[in-house]
This record gives sequence, structure tokens and C-alpha cells, in this order.
Amino acid sequence: MRMRISVRQICFIMLIYTAVSKFIIYPTFLSFQSGRDLLFSAAFDFALQAVVVWAVSYLCSRTDRTFFQLVSGTLGNITARIVYALFALFFMLCTVLPLFEQNAYVHSIFYDTVPSILVFLPIFFFTVYAAGKSFRNIGRSADICMPIFIVSIIFIFAMCFSEVKWDSFLPVLRTPFKDVIGGSVASLFRFMEPCWLLMFMGHFTYKKGDAAKITLSYIGGAVIVLLVLAAFYGVYGDISTSRQFAISKISLFFPAIDVIGRIDLIALYALEVVMLFALVLNVQLAVHCINECTGYDNKAVISLAVNAVLALILILFNNQLDAIHTLWSRWMWIAFVIFATVIPLLAWALKRREKDD
Amino acid sequence: MITLEKNIKSVKDVLTSQDIIVFEFDSLGGKKFAAIYADGLADKQLLGELVVKPLRDVEKDASAQEVKRFLASPEVKDCVKIPDAIKEISDGNVVLFIDGEKDFFVIGLKNPPGRSVAEPPTQVTIKGPREGFIEDIKINLGLVRKRLKSDKLKVVMLKAGEKSETAVAMIYLDGVCPEGLPERIEKEIAAREIDIVPDSSYISQFISGKPRSLFKRNGTSEKPDIFCAKICEGRVGLIVDGSPIAITVPYMITEDIQTGEDYYSNSYRATVIRLLRVTALFIGLFLPAFYVSAQLFKNQLIPFQLLLKISSSISGLPLSPSVEMFLTLFVLEVLNEASIRMPKYVGLALSVVGALVLGDTAVKAGIISTPAIIIIAFSAICLYTTPDLVETTTTLRWIFLIIAGSLGPFGIVLFAAFLICYLVTEQSYGVPLLAPFAPLIKSDLYDSMVKANLFSLEHRPDVLKVKDKVRLKNK
Amino acid sequence: MIKFKKRYYVIFYWAVIIALLGLYFTNDFGLVDLHKTSVIVAVGIDAEDEDVIVTAQVAVPQPSQSGENIQYTQVQGRGLTVADCLNEINSKTGFYPKLLFCKLILLGEDCQKEELFRILGCFYRRNYSELTALVATCKGTAREMLSMPATISPENTTAMQRALSDELKKSANVSSVNLKDIALTNFSVSSACYMPYIEANVQGTSEGGGNGDNVGGDSAQQGQQGGQGGQGGGSQGGQGGGGEQGQSGQSGQSGQSGGGEQKMEFTARKTAAFSGGRFVGILDEQQSFALNLINNDIRLAVVPCDSDGTHYTIGLKSTKGGVKLKVNNGVPELNVSFKANAQIQGAKKVLDPDGVKNDDVVKPEILKATADEIRDRMQSLIDLCAKENCDLLGVRELLHKYNYKYYDAFKDDVLTRMKINYDIKIQSVN
Repeated sequence: MRMRISVRQICFIMLIYTAVSKFIIYPTFLSFQSGRDLLFSAAFDFALQAVVVWAVSYLCSRTDRTFFQLVSGTLGNITARIVYALFALFFMLCTVLPLFEQNAYVHSIFYDTVPSILVFLPIFFFTVYAAGKSFRNIGRSADICMPIFIVSIIFIFAMCFSEVKWDSFLPVLRTPFKDVIGGSVASLFRFMEPCWLLMFMGHFTYKKGDAAKITLSYIGGAVIVLLVLAAFYGVYGDISTSRQFAISKISLFFPAIDVIGRIDLIALYALEVVMLFALVLNVQLAVHCINECTGYDNKAVISLAVNAVLALILILFNNQLDAIHTLWSRWMWIAFVIFATVIPLLAWALKRREKDD
Repeated sequence: MITLEKNIKSVKDVLTSQDIIVFEFDSLGGKKFAAIYADGLADKQLLGELVVKPLRDVEKDASAQEVKRFLASPEVKDCVKIPDAIKEISDGNVVLFIDGEKDFFVIGLKNPPGRSVAEPPTQVTIKGPREGFIEDIKINLGLVRKRLKSDKLKVVMLKAGEKSETAVAMIYLDGVCPEGLPERIEKEIAAREIDIVPDSSYISQFISGKPRSLFKRNGTSEKPDIFCAKICEGRVGLIVDGSPIAITVPYMITEDIQTGEDYYSNSYRATVIRLLRVTALFIGLFLPAFYVSAQLFKNQLIPFQLLLKISSSISGLPLSPSVEMFLTLFVLEVLNEASIRMPKYVGLALSVVGALVLGDTAVKAGIISTPAIIIIAFSAICLYTTPDLVETTTTLRWIFLIIAGSLGPFGIVLFAAFLICYLVTEQSYGVPLLAPFAPLIKSDLYDSMVKANLFSLEHRPDVLKVKDKVRLKNK
Repeated sequence: MIKFKKRYYVIFYWAVIIALLGLYFTNDFGLVDLHKTSVIVAVGIDAEDEDVIVTAQVAVPQPSQSGENIQYTQVQGRGLTVADCLNEINSKTGFYPKLLFCKLILLGEDCQKEELFRILGCFYRRNYSELTALVATCKGTAREMLSMPATISPENTTAMQRALSDELKKSANVSSVNLKDIALTNFSVSSACYMPYIEANVQGTSEGGGNGDNVGGDSAQQGQQGGQGGQGGGSQGGQGGGGEQGQSGQSGQSGQSGGGEQKMEFTARKTAAFSGGRFVGILDEQQSFALNLINNDIRLAVVPCDSDGTHYTIGLKSTKGGVKLKVNNGVPELNVSFKANAQIQGAKKVLDPDGVKNDDVVKPEILKATADEIRDRMQSLIDLCAKENCDLLGVRELLHKYNYKYYDAFKDDVLTRMKINYDIKIQSVN
């Protein structure tokens, strides 16, 4: 029996997980790369991905088969297994940098001083447990995360709004075009959303207009990210390159904080719950891919193995966030382009070939 | 020829206790009878009025069926087997043997000692019905029948407990209740063999599906009005003999945030109160944990001026913030437990000793700080705004506290995420525990955190997948 | 198999519970809890030769069953950088100094000789300090200033923070800035920043607002008084907080109490200007007032003016000020606009009951005098900026943002080349 997820839940995932996965280092990095034209860099990436998201969601309207069935139906079962094994590796790759970012972010917003990595490692209790769950769990978690996200983000925006200087982005498009595009390319490794949709393919009942809903949800997530980028740059201007963990910094100057303390932390902690689910989604999908690829049904064991690898990477390369970030932005984006852009578009070719056959 | 003595002997051979009374009497015509009953369970006055007195006029040669016509009791059952008679006597009914007759009668004169219908102490209402269930299943069924006079109301009598043979009434509305649900519950109950079922909580665990879970899988109510309302929504209700707490399934966590009074008061007020309850629930759950982690790991969680006050209060304390909070919560739980168990007059003294003397002197002696006491006391009060969830929430409070003291605020957030992940797929008879939030069911949101007005609640909850969805028709 | 699994689950759960309890009762990840933390509420920084001296005002909680009982003490550290000093403070006290609650950074007079971001750089680099702290410079040394007793509050940092408060900022009396504002303006193309200049006056001798002019008193006289206050404070602070580096918190505290005889009033009506990270000069009250009218969101400002031989104190409401830069025919033009509704708040003449009735309607000649006064102050500020090449009004920033094509041409001398147009409209409230 196929695991089920609803279109509404996919829309929520596209909206909120897309957004929260880009709140930590992305704004700082982009302002470093593209300066005051960071919005253009981001918009370029989102536009490209939105097209791919639309393509995949439209593909869903043409077939009710899963991606695995689609590949195995046209290229054979062995190929499908290989593709899913590669996707499993890819999803693990997608988790590595967010995991390191989370480690640094957690230390920043949850602790006043620099604690040991031991305080972060319990995250693997959660990821091991959650990654062994079904698509139904992913969908329902998104249902719960949606209101948490909306309330938190409104709260944070409300607190930072008065501090944002909207003319910080002037003069527009004066950053060298090479830097703007360079910012886009170097950030491509943050975009894996079409792959999520590829994995959900065939696990939901497509109704007319769903492709538009999913794409619009993705665009909604993109708009929220752009607003956060704008708010961050609007608050910190040229010094935003030295301010990490953007989302936790933009509401610091709210006047009431002096009197009632860091109330923004309430919203940030609530948002952290959503971030955890966004992080674990890639692990869940890696486990799903291994499950499909090997046919081994015990997801708990697969989840344990996947998380053990991730934990090992985290422990071995602890405090190497900058190095990993550099590696990802210089080289790994190629893998992301292949898996999150090229392969989803190639899925159309599979569909056509299946039709011809 | 079956003699009266032989029948009596058959019964007395099994029921040897001295509280099994054999009352032998003759009619004026010379016919001999023997009424056997358990002392204290059967109503002796009614036995005299409805059985002994009418039978005075029976002729000596009257048959069993002719004797039956004389009996004034409305509940008379023919019986031929002695084991059945023994069962009925144990149950509190009277067995009437007739000299020379093989047949005998079971007369429903059960009247076990019990309290009368009163307002339940756990679900007090200011506005709305005050009747509550008691330990007698018959009276409880009567209270339900009083409110639901529909011919669609089905009552299925079940037995649970090998030795206790406790009566369990399964109640549902035919045509509304989801298909197959009563049968599933009946099967679950029948599948458990246990000596005794002293309370409905046993049945609750039998049908929960996951008895080891911290979260319950069925709703409870002591009030017939709430019980009937839930049955009308399409749920199945279970009343267990000897227990004033009725069970309803399927269950959603939001049910425990609602109270009966919400439906009897203004919907705006009800919404405000519900939101208040939810807020209080979260405060009660997280406040001690965040207080400890704020002191240990993230001072910024506390406003600066308050931090200075707290710093003053804890300055010089011999205990670390985590141990201090653990100790304070431990004392609260001990006081809570003791005050429930102790006789009332001792309980009053205990509250004075516990709350005033112990608390005050502990602060004065510099063992614990004033903020710690305030935090714990407020947390306890907050959790009691949702009394039906108190078992779960007080346990969770301990877990959150220990995690907060060991891992800090990130531990709290992580465990909260873990709970969400666990709860979203948990179900009670196919109904998600977190419905209508996960999965999101828009139409059911009108009676969840918010309470829409009566006219907006036209349909029964979608999540229950009931057969007849319409609850209110405006003609 | 299921039993086997269950058994391992039970062992796993117990292991987790025991581990958590172990951590709970020992709780030590090398973390610093409230017991071991010194809450620094203000930091004073002085430069001496090549060294930096940091004086941290630390809140030391005292045991109390009811309410707050905090004593403030000062601890000093000396080193080549601010971080060195903080480290020394840590080693001296055994407390981990947290700057998260530090709301005031006070730079001593000697810091004016240093590059500003050599001093402040530490606060931008450290992940664990926020950029919300107010920054000010002062007359004399910061350590002396922090040890002076205040009139309006038991802790002088609170008194100083009040002198820099948002309310005062909104009345154009102080040009408060925080770490973020300073970095934003300094690292912009204007490369200029400013901060309030705090002075201490002996109680009762300040005449800044005594003549009905809240902002425009005799600056020379006031400066003298400030100087006296500074001297007095210096001598008091010398007893305790001004002692040698390495003094314990206790001695710093005694310094504070020792200065209790002459309480000080803190004012911050002047403004220190920096360009390219270097100190440029001090703006007087009038120039600071003009700067605030242009740069800040003002709710109610008070300005003195003379008309028909009478001195008036005019309250300005609903103000809106700002500057815009345009390039017309190859000439940069700075349009300085200011709009406000005026109301007479005081006049140096006998109160005439009949006249008071019409006081809501301010006479045109008084409005003109007010506008002239404001224009003079603004002109004085702009002249200073041009003279010192200190772009406090962000003219280069305006050129860069709104007239980018002229930026390269004018960026070096725009302050001297630009033509100034004033659009000052003062209307009567009624």
C-alpha cells in the first residue's frame, strides 16, 4: 500500500520548509556575495526552482505512478534502484550543511556561552525517530508546523518592521552582475525542493489545479524568504555580512525588548520546532529512498544507519562549518543542480517514453 | 418430584456464605416458597411488598405460571438452571423457588448500597446540569435514557472480569455511529480476561490499543449531559458498573480542552476561556523547565530587571537552580498526593504545614528561593485548568524539567518536536489524536480552540466519519 | 523477537533516563549559570598609551528574600584590546563576564585619539554581545564617570542611560546611538558617525534648562559648568573607581559610595563627531539639536527665539525633517526641509490673562524668528560638516543612493560644493 500525503500538506511543506531552511546563514552569505542586490540573487534562484517545481507538479497530473515506478517502468527495476540509491545519498548530502548550521544556530540562540557539542547531539534521538516514520507523519507534522510558522514569522516581522531601512537596497543593480549571479550559483546548494516533490509523486491524489497550488505555495515560501532577506539587509545594511543567524538578529532592536526582555526568543524557539521538521524531512526522504531501493522494510534500522553516518560527520567535522560551507558553495552546487533541477525535468522524458512504450 | 429443600440445598452447596439468606414462607393456601438472596444487595422491603404479600393468596395446587401471575414485581425472569440462579443471587437479585416445581423465578430486586445522584467533584459547573454519574450502572443508564429518548439509542450489555463479571454498557446511536466501531470495541473487551474490573479505567486500558502510552486514547466524563452529547456526535460510550466515570471513544486531545460549560455559555466567552486554558496548559508545562534553563543556559530568557530580582533571591542558596526546582516540584507533588489521600481534617492541617510553614521557612532558611515557589505553584494551578489531562501533563512537566536542566532550552524544543512527531500519527479508533489540527480539518476547527456559536455547528465532526453528518437543521 | 525488542527498548529508555538525571544533577557542560555570572550593565573604556583600560560596572546580587537587592561594583582590566581586558576581569573575579545585558558603552576622552573601531571592534566580533548597547563618549575618563554618584538614581549608569533615553532623543535633546547605528553610518560611503557626549554637572549648578531654553542655553557657560562637574567627579572617582588597574570590585564599589557627598547630574546635549573612524570634534547643543531634527523622528522639540525684544520658548510638534540631495545643472543641491507646528510654551514677560487666550495662535513674526533660529542652527551644523569633511548628514550616502551617476564625480568634495536650500515651514498649532 502506498503511503499517502495530501496536496494541502505538500503545499504547506513547500511553503514553510522552503522558507525556514533559508533563515540561518543564507541571508548573511548572500549579502556577502551580492551586497545590496541580494534580493536579485535570491529571486533568480527561486524563479528557476519555481519552474522546476511547477514542472514536477504538472507531471504529477499526468501520472499517478511514483517516481520509482516511473523509472522502473521505463528504465527497468535495477536502474530505478540505482537512481533511488543516488537520491538517498543526495538527501543525506542535503542534510549535512543544515545540520552544521543548526548546530551553530542552536548554540547561538539557546545558550549564552559556547557549550559542548553534546548538547546538540540529542537531535539524533529526534531524527532517528522521525526519519523512520511514514509520509503520513511528514504531512501531519507540516499541518502542525504551519500555524506555528505563521504566528512566529508574523511576530518576528512585526518586531523588526520599524527598524528596517527600506532604502538600504539603493542604488539598485549596481553590484557587479558577476557577483549577483555568483551569489545565485553559490547558493544553489540550498535548493532541493523539486526533489521533495519528486518523492511525493504518486503518493497523493492529483486534482485539477493542484500544480498551480503547489507552485504558488513554493512562491509563497520564496516571498517569505525574500522578505526576511529584505528585513535583514534593511536592518543591518552594509554590516549584515558580519551578522550570522539572520532570523535571530532582525528583531533585536524592537523597543519593548529593553523592558520585557527577549520576547523574540519565544518566536525563535517556536520557529526552531519547524526548522527541526524541515531538517528531518531530508533524512526521512533518504530513509524512504533506501527503503525503496533495497526493499528492506524496517525503516527504524535504516533510519538508525543514516543518522549514525550523519552523526559521525557532525562529530568529526565539528566547528568546520565555514569549511563545509565553502566546499558546498564551490563544488556541491553541481550535485544540487543535477538532482534538484536536471533530474526532475528529465522525469518528463521518462513520462513521454512510458507513453510511447 | 423436585422438593423445595433440594433446590435450596443445591444453592447452599455452592453459596455457603452466611450472608446468603433463605427465606421460606407459605401461602394461606399452604403452598411453600423459598426466596434466596444476598443480604445487603437485594431490597427486602420490595421483596415483602411485591413478592411475599401477593403470594399469600396462592392456592396449594397452583402451577408455576399461575404463581408468576401473582408476582407484582415488573422484572420477573423464568429460570431452570441452578448455576443461573447462583449467578443472579450473586448479582443481587432474588431467586424464588416453588415447592414441587422445577422452574423458578429470578426477581429483579437488586438494590446494592450506593450513593445518590450528585454533582461530580471533578467536573463542577456553574451554569448547566449538575447531575453526575454514580457507581450504579442502572441509574447511570437511566440518566442517559433521560436525555436520549431516541429509539436509535442502542445499549449493548457486556460482561468484563472473570470473577467480578462486571456489567459494561456499550451505548451508541444507531445510524450515526461509524460502521463497525461498536463491534471493534466489543471485540477488544471480550479479548481481555482478567479477574476483576473494579473501575472503568480497566476497560479504558483494554480498548486503548496502546496501554503503555503516556497519552490516553479515550475520553472520560462524569456528567451525563456531556456523555450524551458525545454519543450524539457519533462516539461510542461505555458505562461500567461500579464506576462513576464513563468512557467515550474515539477520542481527540482537544476534547479535554473543552468543558461542558463552554456549550452553555456565550461562544465568545467560551473561546476566550478555551484559549486561556490552552495558554495555561503550555505555561504549566513549560514554565518550570524554561525557568531552570534560563538560569543555567540562557539568562536572556528573563527580562533584565526580573533577572536582577531572581539573582538576589538565589544569591547564597546552597542548591543549584536545577536541584532547587527539582526539590520544589517534588515537595509540591508530595503535598498534592498527601492532601488527596489524607482525611479532610488532617488535610487542612497539612495544607497549613505544607504551604505556609514549609514554604515560608524554606525560603527564610535560604534553602529555596521565592521565585522557585512562585513558578511551581503557578505551574500547578495552570495545569489544573485542564483536569482531564493532568495525569499526562504532570508527568510531562517532570520530563521537560529534567531535560531543561540537563540539555537546556534546546532540549525542551527538541522534546516538544519529538512529542509532535509522536502525536501526529497516534490514533484512537482511526481518529487522529491531534485532529482537527493534524490532519487539518477546517470544518472541525469551529469547535476546537475556538467555539463557534451553536448555529455554526450544523454538522457532526468530520473526523469521526459518522454516517449521518447533519447535527442541526434550521427549518 | 517482539519481546527481545521490548527488552532493549526498556534498557534504552532507562539508560536515557539515568543519563539525563546524571546530567541534570551535575549539569556541567562547562556552562556558566546565573550563580557564576557577573552581569555587566555598563562598560567604560579608556585608552592609555598603547593600552586599553576597561571598567566594567557589574551588578552583584545580594541575598534577599524579598525583591531586588543589587550592589554595583566596578572591576577593571587592562590590555592591548578590549577582549584582553574582559579576560583579565574574568581572571580577577572568577565570574564569567556576560555582555548580553550591557546597555551602555562609555568611551573616555582619551579614546578620541584612537581609531574608533580599534576600541569598539570587539563588540562586533564577539558572537555573544548584541549591537543594542548605547554608545557615548564623555568628558574625562570613563572610569571616573562611572564612579560618580548620580542624583536621580542610585546607580549612575541608570542616570546616564536616562540622559540618553529614547524620550530625550525624541525631543531632539540627545543624539543617542547604539553600536549598530555607529557601524552602519561609519561603514557607509559617508564614513562618518556621531555619538552623545556625556558631561557631569554638580547637582544644582546646571543651568542648561534654567532660562526657559531647554536646548539653547549659553553654551560657554554650560561648558564651564560641565568642566567643573567633570573635575569634581574626577576627584571623587579617583578615590575608588579611578584607582589602579587591577583593583578589586570591592574597592570600585567603595569609590562609588565615597563619592556620595556631591551627587552629579548627567547631561548629553553635545555630540561627538567622527569621520573615517577618527574623532573630529564636539558639536555644541545647537548643532546637536539641528542634527537631531534632521536625523531623528522628533515628537516634541523646544526651541528658543527672540521676537519684538521678548524671549519665547516655542514647542514644536508634528515635526518632519530631513535632507534630500539633487544634482541640478551639474551642481549638487542639498534640500534641507523641516516642518513643524509651533506653540508658545513660555515667554519672558508678565502673563496677561487676555493674551494667554490667543497664545495658541502664534504670531507670524514669532514663527519667522523660530524658523530663523532653526535655520541658523542647521547652517552652523552644515558649515562644521563641510569644514571638517565630516558627513554627519549622510550626503555622500544620498549621492550614492539617489544620484549614483554623479557619485564618482562628487564623492570627494560634495560637502563643500553643494548648494544648500532650506525649506523650513513653521506653522501655528491653531
